Amino acid sequence: MSDLHQQLQELQTFQENATIRIETLGSFCVWRNQQKIEAKEWGRDKTVQLLQYFISNRQRNALHKEKIMDGLWEDWNDRDFKVALHGIHKALEPHRPSRTEPEYILRQGVSYQIDLEKVWVDVEALERYIIVGNEAFNHDNSVAKTAYKTAINLYKGAYLPNRVYEDWTSEEREKTQLLVLGAYITLAEILIDENPLESIRLAQKALAIDNTWEDAYRIQMQAYIVKGNRPQAIKTYMKCEVILEEEYGISPLPETKKLLKEIESIQ
Amino acid sequence: MTKTQEQTASFMVRFHQQIFEENGESKIQWRGKISHVQDGDEKRFSDFNDALTFMQQKLAELTEEATRYETSEKQESIIDKSLSMWKTIKNVGPKVLRDTLKDPKKQFTHFQDEIQDKINIFGEEISEKVQMNEWRNASRSDFNKIQNQIESLSTEIKNLSTKMDAIQKKS
Repeated sequence: MSDLHQQLQELQTFQENATIRIETLGSFCVWRNQQKIEAKEWGRDKTVQLLQYFISNRQRNALHKEKIMDGLWEDWNDRDFKVALHGIHKALEPHRPSRTEPEYILRQGVSYQIDLEKVWVDVEALERYIIVGNEAFNHDNSVAKTAYKTAINLYKGAYLPNRVYEDWTSEEREKTQLLVLGAYITLAEILIDENPLESIRLAQKALAIDNTWEDAYRIQMQAYIVKGNRPQAIKTYMKCEVILEEEYGISPLPETKKLLKEIESIQ
Repeated sequence: MTKTQEQTASFMVRFHQQIFEENGESKIQWRGKISHVQDGDEKRFSDFNDALTFMQQKLAELTEEATRYETSEKQESIIDKSLSMWKTIKNVGPKVLRDTLKDPKKQFTHFQDEIQDKINIFGEEISEKVQMNEWRNASRSDFNKIQNQIESLSTEIKNLSTKMDAIQKKS
Protein backbone atom coordinates (compact mmCIF):
# COMPACT_ATOMS: atom_id res chain seq x y z
CA MET A 1 0.00 0.00 0.00
CA SER A 2 1.38 3.41 -0.93
CA ASP A 3 2.28 5.89 1.77
CA LEU A 4 -0.34 8.34 0.50
CA HIS A 5 -3.00 5.66 0.48
CA GLN A 6 -2.12 4.88 4.08
CA GLN A 7 -2.32 8.55 5.03
CA LEU A 8 -5.76 8.68 3.44
CA GLN A 9 -6.89 5.68 5.47
CA GLU A 10 -5.53 7.15 8.70
CA LEU A 11 -7.44 10.37 8.07
CA GLN A 12 -10.63 8.41 7.45
CA THR A 13 -10.15 6.28 10.57
CA PHE A 14 -9.57 9.36 12.71
CA GLN A 15 -12.71 10.97 11.28
CA GLU A 16 -14.80 7.90 12.18
CA ASN A 17 -13.34 7.19 15.62
CA ALA A 18 -12.46 10.53 17.22
CA THR A 19 -14.24 11.05 20.54
CA ILE A 20 -14.69 14.75 19.84
CA ARG A 21 -15.64 15.84 16.33
CA ILE A 22 -16.23 19.46 15.42
CA GLU A 23 -17.97 20.76 12.31
CA THR A 24 -17.39 24.40 11.40
CA LEU A 25 -18.20 24.45 7.69
CA GLY A 26 -21.73 25.55 6.85
CA SER A 27 -22.73 25.43 10.52
CA PHE A 28 -21.15 24.83 13.91
CA CYS A 29 -21.72 21.53 15.63
CA VAL A 30 -19.76 19.48 18.16
CA TRP A 31 -20.12 15.73 18.63
CA ARG A 32 -19.03 13.91 21.78
CA ASN A 33 -18.96 10.10 21.49
CA GLN A 34 -21.11 10.37 18.32
CA GLN A 35 -23.70 12.46 20.18
CA LYS A 36 -24.38 16.07 19.35
CA ILE A 37 -23.65 18.52 22.18
CA GLU A 38 -26.84 20.56 22.53
CA ALA A 39 -26.78 24.38 22.70
CA LYS A 40 -27.86 24.47 26.36
CA GLU A 41 -24.80 22.42 27.40
CA TRP A 42 -22.53 25.29 26.34
CA GLY A 43 -24.18 27.76 28.66
CA ARG A 44 -23.11 31.13 27.38
CA ASP A 45 -22.14 32.11 23.85
CA LYS A 46 -18.65 33.20 24.94
CA THR A 47 -17.82 29.55 25.69
CA VAL A 48 -18.66 28.61 22.11
CA GLN A 49 -16.71 31.63 20.83
CA LEU A 50 -13.66 30.64 22.84
CA LEU A 51 -13.70 27.13 21.36
CA GLN A 52 -14.12 28.62 17.88
CA TYR A 53 -11.21 30.97 18.59
CA PHE A 54 -9.02 27.97 19.50
CA ILE A 55 -10.04 26.30 16.23
CA SER A 56 -9.35 29.44 14.17
CA ASN A 57 -5.86 29.64 15.68
CA ARG A 58 -5.20 25.92 15.90
CA GLN A 59 -2.13 25.92 13.64
CA ARG A 60 -0.31 28.57 15.63
CA ASN A 61 1.63 27.88 18.76
CA ALA A 62 -0.27 27.87 22.01
CA LEU A 63 -1.97 31.24 22.48
CA HIS A 64 -1.27 33.43 25.47
CA LYS A 65 -4.35 34.00 27.63
CA GLU A 66 -4.15 37.77 27.22
CA LYS A 67 -4.02 37.54 23.45
CA ILE A 68 -7.11 35.35 23.49
CA MET A 69 -8.94 37.77 25.78
CA ASP A 70 -7.96 40.74 23.60
CA GLY A 71 -9.42 38.94 20.60
CA LEU A 72 -12.71 38.03 22.22
CA TRP A 73 -13.64 40.50 24.94
CA GLU A 74 -14.24 44.21 24.77
CA ASP A 75 -13.34 44.69 28.46
CA TRP A 76 -11.93 41.51 29.84
CA ASN A 77 -10.94 40.09 33.14
CA ASP A 78 -9.53 36.77 34.21
CA ARG A 79 -12.85 35.55 35.49
CA ASP A 80 -14.56 35.82 32.08
CA PHE A 81 -11.83 33.71 30.56
CA LYS A 82 -11.93 31.10 33.32
CA VAL A 83 -15.71 30.77 33.10
CA ALA A 84 -15.62 30.31 29.31
CA LEU A 85 -12.74 27.81 29.49
CA HIS A 86 -14.48 25.86 32.24
CA GLY A 87 -17.58 25.80 29.99
CA ILE A 88 -15.56 24.13 27.21
CA HIS A 89 -14.05 21.52 29.55
CA LYS A 90 -17.48 20.78 30.97
CA ALA A 91 -19.07 20.33 27.56
CA LEU A 92 -16.25 18.21 26.11
CA GLU A 93 -15.48 16.16 29.25
CA PRO A 94 -18.53 16.23 31.52
CA HIS A 95 -17.30 13.26 33.55
CA ARG A 96 -13.66 14.27 34.01
CA PRO A 97 -12.60 13.66 37.63
CA SER A 98 -11.64 16.85 39.45
CA ARG A 99 -7.92 17.69 39.74
CA THR A 100 -7.12 15.88 36.50
CA GLU A 101 -5.73 17.64 33.44
CA PRO A 102 -8.22 18.43 30.66
CA GLU A 103 -7.69 16.23 27.64
CA TYR A 104 -8.70 18.34 24.65
CA ILE A 105 -7.53 21.87 25.44
CA LEU A 106 -3.83 21.80 26.23
CA ARG A 107 -2.32 24.27 28.67
CA GLN A 108 1.31 25.35 28.85
CA GLY A 109 1.63 27.89 31.65
CA VAL A 110 -0.80 30.61 30.62
CA SER A 111 -1.00 29.56 26.97
CA TYR A 112 -3.66 27.33 25.49
CA GLN A 113 -4.36 25.35 22.33
CA ILE A 114 -6.67 22.68 21.03
CA ASP A 115 -5.19 19.16 20.79
CA LEU A 116 -5.50 18.23 17.12
CA GLU A 117 -4.25 14.71 17.81
CA LYS A 118 -7.43 14.04 19.78
CA VAL A 119 -10.01 16.42 18.38
CA TRP A 120 -11.21 15.98 14.81
CA VAL A 121 -12.04 19.31 13.17
CA ASP A 122 -13.53 19.44 9.66
CA VAL A 123 -11.42 22.41 8.42
CA GLU A 124 -8.25 20.70 9.56
CA ALA A 125 -9.28 17.41 7.93
CA LEU A 126 -10.23 19.23 4.72
CA GLU A 127 -6.77 20.75 4.48
CA ARG A 128 -5.05 17.44 5.18
CA TYR A 129 -7.11 15.64 2.51
CA ILE A 130 -6.18 18.35 0.01
CA ILE A 131 -2.50 17.98 0.91
CA VAL A 132 -2.75 14.23 0.21
CA GLY A 133 -4.62 14.99 -3.03
CA ASN A 134 -1.98 17.47 -4.18
CA GLU A 135 0.84 15.06 -3.37
CA ALA A 136 -0.88 12.20 -5.18
CA PHE A 137 -1.88 14.32 -8.20
CA ASN A 138 -0.21 13.00 -11.38
CA HIS A 139 1.45 10.04 -9.54
CA ASP A 140 -1.63 8.28 -8.28
CA ASN A 141 -4.79 9.92 -9.55
CA SER A 142 -7.01 7.34 -7.89
CA VAL A 143 -5.77 8.46 -4.44
CA ALA A 144 -5.91 12.11 -5.57
CA LYS A 145 -9.54 11.74 -6.66
CA THR A 146 -10.59 10.12 -3.36
CA ALA A 147 -8.74 12.75 -1.35
CA TYR A 148 -10.22 15.69 -3.27
CA LYS A 149 -13.71 14.19 -3.22
CA THR A 150 -13.57 13.65 0.55
CA ALA A 151 -12.31 17.18 1.08
CA ILE A 152 -15.08 18.59 -1.11
CA ASN A 153 -17.71 16.58 0.77
CA LEU A 154 -16.51 18.16 4.01
CA TYR A 155 -17.11 21.64 2.60
CA LYS A 156 -20.75 22.20 3.52
CA GLY A 157 -20.47 25.97 3.37
CA ALA A 158 -18.39 28.90 4.61
CA TYR A 159 -16.33 28.60 7.80
CA LEU A 160 -18.37 29.57 10.88
CA PRO A 161 -21.08 31.38 8.89
CA ASN A 162 -22.67 32.81 12.03
CA ARG A 163 -19.40 34.65 12.81
CA VAL A 164 -18.79 36.34 9.46
CA TYR A 165 -18.63 39.75 11.12
CA GLU A 166 -15.89 38.69 13.57
CA ASP A 167 -12.48 39.48 12.11
CA TRP A 168 -10.73 36.59 13.90
CA THR A 169 -12.66 34.16 11.67
CA SER A 170 -11.85 35.86 8.32
CA GLU A 171 -8.44 34.35 7.72
CA GLU A 172 -9.64 30.78 8.14
CA ARG A 173 -12.74 31.44 5.99
CA GLU A 174 -10.66 32.86 3.16
CA LYS A 175 -8.03 30.11 3.38
CA THR A 176 -10.60 27.31 3.33
CA GLN A 177 -12.52 28.88 0.49
CA LEU A 178 -9.38 29.07 -1.66
CA LEU A 179 -8.41 25.50 -0.76
CA VAL A 180 -11.78 24.15 -1.78
CA LEU A 181 -11.86 26.27 -4.96
CA GLY A 182 -8.53 24.68 -5.91
CA ALA A 183 -9.88 21.20 -5.12
CA TYR A 184 -13.01 21.74 -7.27
CA ILE A 185 -10.92 22.92 -10.21
CA THR A 186 -8.24 20.21 -9.99
CA LEU A 187 -10.76 17.40 -9.60
CA ALA A 188 -12.89 18.83 -12.41
CA GLU A 189 -9.79 18.85 -14.65
CA ILE A 190 -8.91 15.24 -13.77
CA LEU A 191 -12.45 14.13 -14.63
CA ILE A 192 -13.00 16.01 -17.92
CA ASP A 193 -12.68 12.99 -20.22
CA GLU A 194 -13.79 10.33 -17.77
CA ASN A 195 -16.87 12.08 -16.42
CA PRO A 196 -17.57 15.44 -18.12
CA LEU A 197 -20.91 15.87 -16.37
CA GLU A 198 -19.22 15.71 -12.99
CA SER A 199 -16.59 18.19 -14.21
CA ILE A 200 -19.35 20.60 -15.19
CA ARG A 201 -20.98 20.19 -11.77
CA LEU A 202 -17.72 20.74 -9.90
CA ALA A 203 -16.88 23.82 -11.96
CA GLN A 204 -20.38 25.10 -11.20
CA LYS A 205 -19.72 24.62 -7.48
CA ALA A 206 -16.51 26.66 -7.85
CA LEU A 207 -18.45 29.40 -9.65
CA ALA A 208 -21.03 29.42 -6.85
CA ILE A 209 -18.19 30.44 -4.52
CA ASP A 210 -16.57 32.86 -6.96
CA ASN A 211 -18.36 33.59 -10.23
CA THR A 212 -15.27 35.28 -11.70
CA TRP A 213 -13.07 32.13 -11.45
CA GLU A 214 -12.10 31.93 -15.14
CA ASP A 215 -10.54 28.44 -14.95
CA ALA A 216 -13.96 27.08 -14.03
CA TYR A 217 -15.55 28.53 -17.20
CA ARG A 218 -12.78 27.00 -19.35
CA ILE A 219 -13.27 23.58 -17.75
CA GLN A 220 -17.02 23.79 -18.36
CA MET A 221 -16.43 24.73 -22.00
CA GLN A 222 -14.08 21.74 -22.47
CA ALA A 223 -16.44 19.37 -20.67
CA TYR A 224 -19.41 20.50 -22.82
CA ILE A 225 -17.32 19.78 -25.93
CA VAL A 226 -16.50 16.27 -24.65
CA LYS A 227 -20.26 15.86 -24.17
CA GLY A 228 -20.77 17.09 -27.73
CA ASN A 229 -22.73 20.14 -26.60
CA ARG A 230 -21.12 22.94 -28.66
CA PRO A 231 -23.90 25.55 -28.12
CA GLN A 232 -23.63 25.20 -24.35
CA ALA A 233 -19.82 25.55 -24.53
CA ILE A 234 -20.22 28.83 -26.46
CA LYS A 235 -22.92 30.00 -24.04
CA THR A 236 -20.51 29.36 -21.14
CA TYR A 237 -17.90 31.60 -22.80
CA MET A 238 -20.50 34.38 -23.24
CA LYS A 239 -21.41 34.15 -19.57
CA CYS A 240 -17.74 34.35 -18.57
CA GLU A 241 -17.29 37.42 -20.78
CA VAL A 242 -20.31 39.19 -19.25
CA ILE A 243 -19.29 38.43 -15.65
CA LEU A 244 -15.67 39.56 -16.12
CA GLU A 245 -16.86 42.77 -17.75
CA GLU A 246 -19.36 43.43 -14.97
CA GLU A 247 -17.04 42.64 -12.08
CA TYR A 248 -13.63 43.82 -13.30
CA GLY A 249 -14.22 45.66 -16.57
CA ILE A 250 -11.87 43.25 -18.36
CA SER A 251 -12.22 40.63 -21.10
CA PRO A 252 -11.37 36.90 -20.79
CA LEU A 253 -7.76 35.74 -21.02
CA PRO A 254 -6.24 34.89 -24.43
CA GLU A 255 -6.31 31.19 -23.38
CA THR A 256 -10.10 31.33 -22.96
CA LYS A 257 -10.55 33.25 -26.23
CA LYS A 258 -8.39 30.68 -28.00
CA LEU A 259 -10.55 27.88 -26.63
CA LEU A 260 -13.65 29.65 -27.96
CA LYS A 261 -12.06 29.87 -31.43
CA GLU A 262 -11.29 26.15 -31.34
CA ILE A 263 -14.86 25.41 -30.33
CA GLU A 264 -16.27 27.66 -33.05
CA SER A 265 -14.12 25.92 -35.66
CA ILE A 266 -15.57 22.50 -34.78
CA GLN A 267 -17.92 21.43 -37.55
CA MET B 1 -17.57 55.65 25.30
CA THR B 2 -17.58 54.16 21.82
CA LYS B 3 -16.72 50.47 21.74
CA THR B 4 -13.43 49.39 20.13
CA GLN B 5 -15.51 47.23 17.80
CA GLU B 6 -17.28 50.33 16.50
CA GLN B 7 -13.91 52.05 15.89
CA THR B 8 -12.44 49.16 13.94
CA ALA B 9 -12.62 48.24 10.28
CA SER B 10 -11.01 45.04 9.02
CA PHE B 11 -10.43 44.23 5.37
CA MET B 12 -9.62 40.96 3.66
CA VAL B 13 -7.87 41.42 0.32
CA ARG B 14 -7.45 38.61 -2.18
CA PHE B 15 -5.10 38.89 -5.15
CA HIS B 16 -5.23 36.40 -7.97
CA GLN B 17 -2.56 36.59 -10.64
CA GLN B 18 -2.95 35.66 -14.27
CA ILE B 19 0.23 35.29 -16.31
CA PHE B 20 -0.29 34.93 -20.04
CA GLU B 21 1.21 35.48 -23.48
CA GLU B 22 -0.36 38.01 -25.81
CA ASN B 23 1.04 39.09 -29.18
CA GLY B 24 4.30 37.32 -28.34
CA GLU B 25 4.68 39.25 -25.10
CA SER B 26 4.47 37.95 -21.53
CA LYS B 27 1.86 39.75 -19.47
CA ILE B 28 0.55 39.64 -15.95
CA GLN B 29 -2.85 40.68 -14.72
CA TRP B 30 -3.91 41.03 -11.11
CA ARG B 31 -7.51 40.40 -10.16
CA GLY B 32 -8.54 41.16 -6.65
CA LYS B 33 -11.38 41.14 -4.20
CA ILE B 34 -11.61 43.22 -1.07
CA SER B 35 -14.12 42.47 1.68
CA HIS B 36 -15.08 44.64 4.60
CA VAL B 37 -15.38 42.16 7.45
CA GLN B 38 -17.76 44.11 9.70
CA ASP B 39 -20.54 44.60 7.14
CA GLY B 40 -19.69 41.88 4.62
CA ASP B 41 -19.56 44.23 1.60
CA GLU B 42 -17.24 43.18 -1.21
CA LYS B 43 -15.68 44.84 -4.22
CA ARG B 44 -13.71 43.29 -7.04
CA PHE B 45 -10.90 45.20 -8.68
CA SER B 46 -8.29 44.96 -11.38
CA ASP B 47 -6.92 48.39 -10.43
CA PHE B 48 -5.70 48.64 -6.82
CA ASN B 49 -6.95 52.24 -6.63
CA ASP B 50 -10.49 50.85 -6.61
CA ALA B 51 -9.64 48.79 -3.52
CA LEU B 52 -8.22 51.88 -1.82
CA THR B 53 -11.34 53.86 -2.69
CA PHE B 54 -13.47 51.07 -1.21
CA MET B 55 -11.45 51.15 2.03
CA GLN B 56 -11.63 54.93 2.12
CA GLN B 57 -15.44 54.84 1.80
CA LYS B 58 -15.78 52.31 4.61
CA LEU B 59 -13.49 54.28 6.91
CA ALA B 60 -15.29 57.53 6.12
CA GLU B 61 -18.57 55.82 7.10
CA LEU B 62 -16.94 54.74 10.36
CA THR B 63 -15.75 58.28 11.12
CA GLU B 64 -19.14 59.69 10.16
CA GLU B 65 -20.89 57.26 12.51
CA ALA B 66 -18.48 58.00 15.38
CA THR B 67 -18.94 61.77 15.01
CA ARG B 68 -22.68 61.89 14.35
CA TYR B 69 -23.39 63.74 17.63
CA GLU B 70 -20.75 66.41 16.95
CA THR B 71 -21.57 69.76 15.36
CA SER B 72 -21.61 69.60 11.58
CA GLU B 73 -18.49 71.86 11.41
CA LYS B 74 -16.52 69.61 13.73
CA GLN B 75 -17.71 66.47 11.95
CA GLU B 76 -16.71 67.93 8.58
CA SER B 77 -13.29 68.92 9.89
CA ILE B 78 -12.60 65.41 11.29
CA ILE B 79 -13.73 63.74 8.07
CA ASP B 80 -11.54 66.13 6.05
CA LYS B 81 -8.52 65.24 8.18
CA SER B 82 -9.29 61.56 7.75
CA LEU B 83 -9.52 61.99 3.96
CA SER B 84 -6.26 63.95 3.73
CA MET B 85 -4.44 60.97 5.29
CA TRP B 86 -5.96 58.83 2.54
CA LYS B 87 -4.76 61.12 -0.24
CA THR B 88 -1.19 60.34 0.82
CA ILE B 89 -1.85 56.61 1.00
CA LYS B 90 -3.64 56.66 -2.36
CA ASN B 91 -0.70 58.39 -4.00
CA VAL B 92 1.98 56.25 -2.45
CA GLY B 93 0.06 52.95 -2.03
CA PRO B 94 -0.01 51.63 -5.63
CA LYS B 95 3.67 52.49 -6.17
CA VAL B 96 4.67 50.76 -2.94
CA LEU B 97 2.56 47.75 -3.88
CA ARG B 98 4.08 47.60 -7.37
CA ASP B 99 7.61 47.74 -5.99
CA THR B 100 6.81 45.18 -3.32
CA LEU B 101 5.34 42.76 -5.83
CA LYS B 102 8.33 43.28 -8.13
CA ASP B 103 10.97 42.73 -5.50
CA PRO B 104 9.57 42.14 -1.99
CA LYS B 105 12.98 41.60 -0.38
CA LYS B 106 14.46 44.79 -1.80
CA GLN B 107 11.39 46.83 -0.87
CA PHE B 108 11.43 45.44 2.67
CA THR B 109 15.10 46.33 3.06
CA HIS B 110 14.35 49.79 1.69
CA PHE B 111 11.60 50.31 4.29
CA GLN B 112 13.89 49.09 7.05
CA ASP B 113 16.66 51.47 5.98
CA GLU B 114 14.28 54.43 5.74
CA ILE B 115 12.84 53.76 9.18
CA GLN B 116 16.27 53.16 10.71
CA ASP B 117 17.62 56.42 9.21
CA LYS B 118 14.74 58.40 10.63
CA ILE B 119 15.05 56.75 14.04
CA ASN B 120 18.78 57.56 14.11
CA ILE B 121 18.27 61.20 13.10
CA PHE B 122 15.40 61.85 15.49
CA GLY B 123 17.13 59.89 18.25
CA GLU B 124 20.28 62.01 18.00
CA GLU B 125 18.34 65.28 17.88
CA ILE B 126 16.20 64.41 20.86
CA SER B 127 19.09 63.12 22.98
CA GLU B 128 21.15 66.22 22.19
CA LYS B 129 18.57 68.92 22.63
CA VAL B 130 15.81 67.72 24.92
CA GLN B 131 17.16 66.75 28.34
CA MET B 132 14.71 65.26 30.77
CA ASN B 133 15.95 67.31 33.77
CA GLU B 134 15.21 70.54 31.91
CA TRP B 135 11.58 69.51 31.65
CA ARG B 136 11.08 69.76 35.39
CA ASN B 137 11.31 73.55 35.32
CA ALA B 138 9.94 74.25 31.91
CA SER B 139 10.21 77.92 30.92
CA ARG B 140 9.29 79.93 27.84
CA SER B 141 12.74 79.24 26.37
CA ASP B 142 12.17 75.51 26.86
CA PHE B 143 8.97 75.77 24.92
CA ASN B 144 10.87 77.64 22.21
CA LYS B 145 13.36 74.80 22.09
CA ILE B 146 10.55 72.28 21.74
CA GLN B 147 9.06 74.37 18.99
CA ASN B 148 12.41 74.28 17.18
CA GLN B 149 12.51 70.52 17.57
CA ILE B 150 9.05 70.21 16.09
CA GLU B 151 10.04 72.46 13.19
CA SER B 152 13.11 70.35 12.54
CA LEU B 153 10.97 67.19 12.60
CA SER B 154 8.55 68.83 10.15
CA THR B 155 11.46 69.61 7.81
CA GLU B 156 12.56 65.99 7.95
CA ILE B 157 9.07 64.84 7.10
CA LYS B 158 8.89 67.32 4.20
CA ASN B 159 12.22 66.01 2.89
CA LEU B 160 10.90 62.49 3.08
CA SER B 161 7.75 63.50 1.16
CA THR B 162 9.88 65.19 -1.53
CA LYS B 163 11.95 62.04 -1.79
CA MET B 164 8.80 59.93 -2.17
CA ASP B 165 7.49 62.29 -4.89
CA ALA B 166 10.80 62.02 -6.74
CA ILE B 167 10.63 58.21 -6.57
CA GLN B 168 7.08 58.37 -7.83
CA LYS B 169 8.01 60.60 -10.78
CA LYS B 170 10.83 58.25 -11.73
CA SER B 171 8.39 55.34 -11.88
